[in-house]
Amino acid sequence: MTLTVIWLLPLVSGTIIAFIPPRFAKWLAVLVALVTLGISAGVALAFAPGYHGYQFTEQVPWIPQLHIFYHLGVDGISIWLVVLNALLTVIAVLATPLTMRNVNRFIGLMLAMSAGMAGVFLAVDLVLFYVFWEAMLIPAYFLLWLFGEGERPARAAIKFVLFTLSGSLLMLVGVIGEYVFTGQQTFDLAKLATIAPSANIQFGLFIVFALAFAIKTPLFPLHSWLPSAYLAAPTPMLVTFAGVMGKAGAYGFLRIAVPLFPDPVGWWDWRWVMPALAVAAIIWGALMAIAQRDMKLLVAYSSVSHMGFIVLGIFSYNVQGQQGAILQMVNHGIIIPALFLFVAWIADRTGTRDRSALAGLAPRMPVMAGVFTIVVLAALGLPGLNSFVGEFMTLLGAWERAPVLAAIGAIGLVLAPVYMLRMFQGAMYGEPVGPRPSGDIQAGQLALVTPLIILMFAIGLYPYALTQLMTSVAQAGLYR
Amino acid sequence: MTLTAALPTYGWSQALADLGQISPIATLVGFMLLAIVADLVIPPKRRSGVVAMIAVTGLSYSLGTAVYRWLYAQGGPAYSGMATGDSFALFFDVLFASLGILTVAISHSYLQKRGMREGEFHILMLGSIIGMMVLASATSLVTVFLGLELLSIALYIASGFARDDNRSQEAAAKYLLVGGFASAFVLYGMALVYGAAGTTLIPDIAKQVAGTAASNPLLTLGIVLMGVGFAFKVSAAPFHMWTPDVYQGAPIPVTAFMSVGTKAAAFAMIVRVFAGGLPHLAPEWQALLAFVAATSMVVGNLMAIVQSSLKRLLAYSGVAQAGYVLIGVIAGGKIGLAAVLYYLFVYMFMNFGAFAVVTLLAGPDGDRDRLSDLSGLYRRNWPMAVLMTIFMLSLAGFPPTVGFFGKLFLFTAGVSAGYTWLVVLALLMSVVSVYYYVRVLVPVWSTTARAEPLRASPSSTLAIALSGVLSVALGLYPTTLLVAAQFGALPFGGP
Repeated sequence: MTLTVIWLLPLVSGTIIAFIPPRFAKWLAVLVALVTLGISAGVALAFAPGYHGYQFTEQVPWIPQLHIFYHLGVDGISIWLVVLNALLTVIAVLATPLTMRNVNRFIGLMLAMSAGMAGVFLAVDLVLFYVFWEAMLIPAYFLLWLFGEGERPARAAIKFVLFTLSGSLLMLVGVIGEYVFTGQQTFDLAKLATIAPSANIQFGLFIVFALAFAIKTPLFPLHSWLPSAYLAAPTPMLVTFAGVMGKAGAYGFLRIAVPLFPDPVGWWDWRWVMPALAVAAIIWGALMAIAQRDMKLLVAYSSVSHMGFIVLGIFSYNVQGQQGAILQMVNHGIIIPALFLFVAWIADRTGTRDRSALAGLAPRMPVMAGVFTIVVLAALGLPGLNSFVGEFMTLLGAWERAPVLAAIGAIGLVLAPVYMLRMFQGAMYGEPVGPRPSGDIQAGQLALVTPLIILMFAIGLYPYALTQLMTSVAQAGLYR
Repeated sequence: MTLTAALPTYGWSQALADLGQISPIATLVGFMLLAIVADLVIPPKRRSGVVAMIAVTGLSYSLGTAVYRWLYAQGGPAYSGMATGDSFALFFDVLFASLGILTVAISHSYLQKRGMREGEFHILMLGSIIGMMVLASATSLVTVFLGLELLSIALYIASGFARDDNRSQEAAAKYLLVGGFASAFVLYGMALVYGAAGTTLIPDIAKQVAGTAASNPLLTLGIVLMGVGFAFKVSAAPFHMWTPDVYQGAPIPVTAFMSVGTKAAAFAMIVRVFAGGLPHLAPEWQALLAFVAATSMVVGNLMAIVQSSLKRLLAYSGVAQAGYVLIGVIAGGKIGLAAVLYYLFVYMFMNFGAFAVVTLLAGPDGDRDRLSDLSGLYRRNWPMAVLMTIFMLSLAGFPPTVGFFGKLFLFTAGVSAGYTWLVVLALLMSVVSVYYYVRVLVPVWSTTARAEPLRASPSSTLAIALSGVLSVALGLYPTTLLVAAQFGALPFGGP
């Protein structure tokens, strides 16, 4: 029942919250999100490390005619994303200003989206996974469309939905194909990982799954929905949208695409194509980030670059790479929301997000500048902060697979300081230019990012606490 | 064969047994006659609602009878094999009776608003439902045609029910002409099949055809001609041209009714004749239907994008949906046909619900079915906006609505039967469909428009709310309906 509560509680309360007065809505939502976080953290603490297989499983027949089960479970891959999702939901709800129009609907939809994402990470039945995967699009679409910023949020929303759906509807062929072509008539992910159809069928199925995950991640060159969607998304939504939903794609790679399709085929070996695309994403995202003046877009493109490291680690097919990828998923989920929050606060205080229109904010907003420094340093992978360990491990894994991948991927590490520090230095130091900020950040806002900052140090200084509990696909023996 | 030897004695007990097999239909015929008498006898001032009450009572009785027979009675052939009361027929009896009740529920206030005569309307609906039920129970080509004409003629009149509306008249004329064509095609095909098989009884046709070794050009031509006629009736491309015009012109409750009813009845007919009568020629009609399915999905989905009338949009969406359902028919077998029955049943709720919401918008002067007429629905009546969202998401196939699970079952059957290419095409076109279904939601949730509240009569509200709840509930818990669908498909279970 524990795992069911983790997704059902936000969904049910989100539905109720959408229809109660805004003032109560927010605090009830905070309460719900905290309870969910508590349960998720409890599961993580009670989690038995080194156990190969799913824990806390719940299995109930759902559609027996097609051998579909309501089957939940967590393992060393998913538990961290479940906790991350719960934590970011708390922060997202707290970051929602009460002045927003229809704020109760917004928070209700946010909780529903959070429930969908939790379901994706919890499901170990392929159809159930697919149901959550698609269902989380519905609140995401309405959030982007009805609460989006910018000139044409509806356009960004439909672009996002159509992009994602063109991948995920084809994935349905893959889901059905796994059922039919393995000859076992099962949707159980653990069972499916032990039986593989013929190499040619695997080729076809891998393509449809990989396409869906690559769009969601997003992986170069399928990322073009991301800038418009991230630009349109309101900041509280971005906390979970960028922080968690992007990980769903990488999680899909790790949970489905890697273990279910072990055999390469012929001239088009995805074991080389996928990391090559990942490296391309690292470089392309970084270059695009350098070219941006809008800080929100800059962070969005930096996200493309960072997701590249994660995919690179996953397709290194070894323990270091995959553990690094899981760690990096968590790290990225901690850093990106913080970056977006700071960009939003700067924009809120000064009225602009254009990095070239701002300078010398540090003396005027000393607290903000101080905390922002930590986030920026974490984002560019400074040793001692969380991102360094993850990126280092993914590159190590990639090096074992093929040194050239790591060598090119490492260029991304060089480019990250370029765009990050350029934005930071330009906006913070020098002669004050541009609109005068209306004040430093507030204590409440500072409190909001404090847990994220603490985690940046904690994971950076003692990553072993997490990695010892993480199981890569390679460790679990699912990968042949 | 001499006639005297073939004629059995037909006693009371046999007559009662036969009547029992078709009791859901017989009940409804009785109530239709009662409704006609009531409409004649009761003076117009007091008549309001009486016929509607009789119709609902009759449909409920029919529904109850079908459920009773489903649970407790042994279904079998009746009237010397002309009709049957098997589980397949009963499944559709339940479907049509439920559809009838929903239609009466939404049409009462609509007819009053538009100043239309209520009596005839409900009587026509009952007549059409009887035709659909006959079609689902038919095990002879003659009975098939009887049912087909019965359902069509009632609908020809019903689509022209708005007498002062030119478009409604145009729709009726168009429907009559095209429907006549389709019937002629079906009849030609039947004649050829009769010529080849020497019988009109569908089970006997199957036996005769199984005996002939070589492929028979008469049968092939018969299949093609019947297939064309059937495609007309399910409004599958490239025989769908009448659908948008007729759907647009007909009064909305009629459109809502026939968008679900005619389609379901025609699919029942296809399964009865093709899967029941010609299983040995499956490769021939499967190829034909695969072509029709592929065209329907492409044409329906692409044409729906550019529509600005909701009725036309839903008409083209119906063309596309017919394509999806055909995949299940082609796949056949226990899984395929069960998926077809499941999908048709849930399609009733999602498609009817969508039309029912549009019904509410109608004014005294006519139907309001432009996309822009929906604008501000969220402010005018938010429960209806939520329900419309559910219907659209369901039609688009988003989980956890029934639309997703219906597609999952259909496509699983399709891939299992080796029609992966058709399923891939269906899913690619589904991406397109999301665009236009979501386009309907844009005015619904637009925050700029502000308009007077939209009132819905209690019966309409109940019907739409029920459709909405079932559109989700039957998806979250599909097992019972799926078991029923499997049982319904049992007569054609095959291998």
